[in-house]
Amino acid sequence: MSASGFDAHVSRLLAAVGYPLATARRTLVTAVFTVVTYCLMVLSTFPAYSMQMLGADLGYVDEALLALTANTYRTVGGAGLGLIVVYAVTTGVALTTTLGRVRNAGPTGVCDLWSVLPGLLASGCASCGAGVLGLLGFAGALAAMPFEGNLLRLGGIALLVGYLSRVGHPRRCELTSTTDEG
Amino acid sequence: MDRPDSRLTRRAALGGIGTVLASGGVVYGASRLDSESSESTGTQFHRSTESTGVGIDLQGHPIMGSADASLDLYYWSDYQCPFCRRFERDTLPKLVENHVRTGTVRIVFIEYPYLSEASMTAAVMDRCVWRQVRDGTPARYWPWHSAVFEAQGEKGSGWASRSNLLEITRRVEGVDAAAVDTCMRTRGPDIESSIRTDVEQASAFGIRGSPAFVLYDPASEAAGKLVGAQPYDRFETAISRIQNA
Repeated sequence: MSASGFDAHVSRLLAAVGYPLATARRTLVTAVFTVVTYCLMVLSTFPAYSMQMLGADLGYVDEALLALTANTYRTVGGAGLGLIVVYAVTTGVALTTTLGRVRNAGPTGVCDLWSVLPGLLASGCASCGAGVLGLLGFAGALAAMPFEGNLLRLGGIALLVGYLSRVGHPRRCELTSTTDEG
Repeated sequence: MDRPDSRLTRRAALGGIGTVLASGGVVYGASRLDSESSESTGTQFHRSTESTGVGIDLQGHPIMGSADASLDLYYWSDYQCPFCRRFERDTLPKLVENHVRTGTVRIVFIEYPYLSEASMTAAVMDRCVWRQVRDGTPARYWPWHSAVFEAQGEKGSGWASRSNLLEITRRVEGVDAAAVDTCMRTRGPDIESSIRTDVEQASAFGIRGSPAFVLYDPASEAAGKLVGAQPYDRFETAISRIQNA
């Protein structure tokens, strides 16, 4: 990638990150996406436990979240928990940006929505960790991975950042200059 | 426990376990007659050599509570699991106080080492300690078990190394650390093989993480599964449901 190409990616990434913070409404939507993502990721670290607790009474949601947050911290450390938080924030930004793109670009924006979903799911699974693997019968598989799966979490975040640096600000279109084309 | 998909009955959930439970028709009451028990710290422990109605072989497992308790609580744990430590700290004392000491429930401790090799080291040592104390002073197992969970550190930090666990053992009154060390060297491979069988059986029960529990009433053959460090009131509800099943 050339220096100008890299600059363009950085510029688009900053624009994409800035978009959710431009209005109070977008910030609120981003915060909701972020919190929901975090809750889903933490609850999915031990799906059977979460399902039993929430199935018994939704009032246990706070207890389950606190217990699993503490368990995640003890299992993967502050760095792992930090990566989950960063992933949740990045997902919040990506979803808000994608929604903005869908609203502005109409049907063509829907393609962007579909393009981000596989990345979200793949990186989400990487981030949530033991839960999904545990459901599949690989109890402790994540613990055996390098850095307790933190490398996977980092990969998931990289995917999202890559997506944001590609889409940029949802209300701006980039025109390639003729000199670049030549 | 109160969700239909989390309850294990002979026909529904236990049926999914397959042959393990299909072969579990052992008459339970008679099996408990040869159990031994002792009292020290207010917590009764005993041993048994029988298999229960759900196919759990009690041989080699510490059992807390009265041999005549009406309910069994099978408890799978890993000494390196922080969630297990949470259960031991927040919920287990209330369970012991309200249901084990009153003779309603007995708890069968089953090792489920899955987090790392050190988990297996701790599990083998657990079984060695139990072998040493089960005939004379079975209640001495409890302080050792609690001391190890109390000492739990970060996974991979070395806290569960053999040498450190032996150091913890030396500080527990009534447990001979040298004999435990000898047991680990001479019987370690056999015990490890037995523990791996327990882990496979846990998988057959649908257990994918720890702590995990199966509550079982031998009289009615009703059973239910709980997973994770759930609060005490969830266990209270589960016990009531199984008792009334």
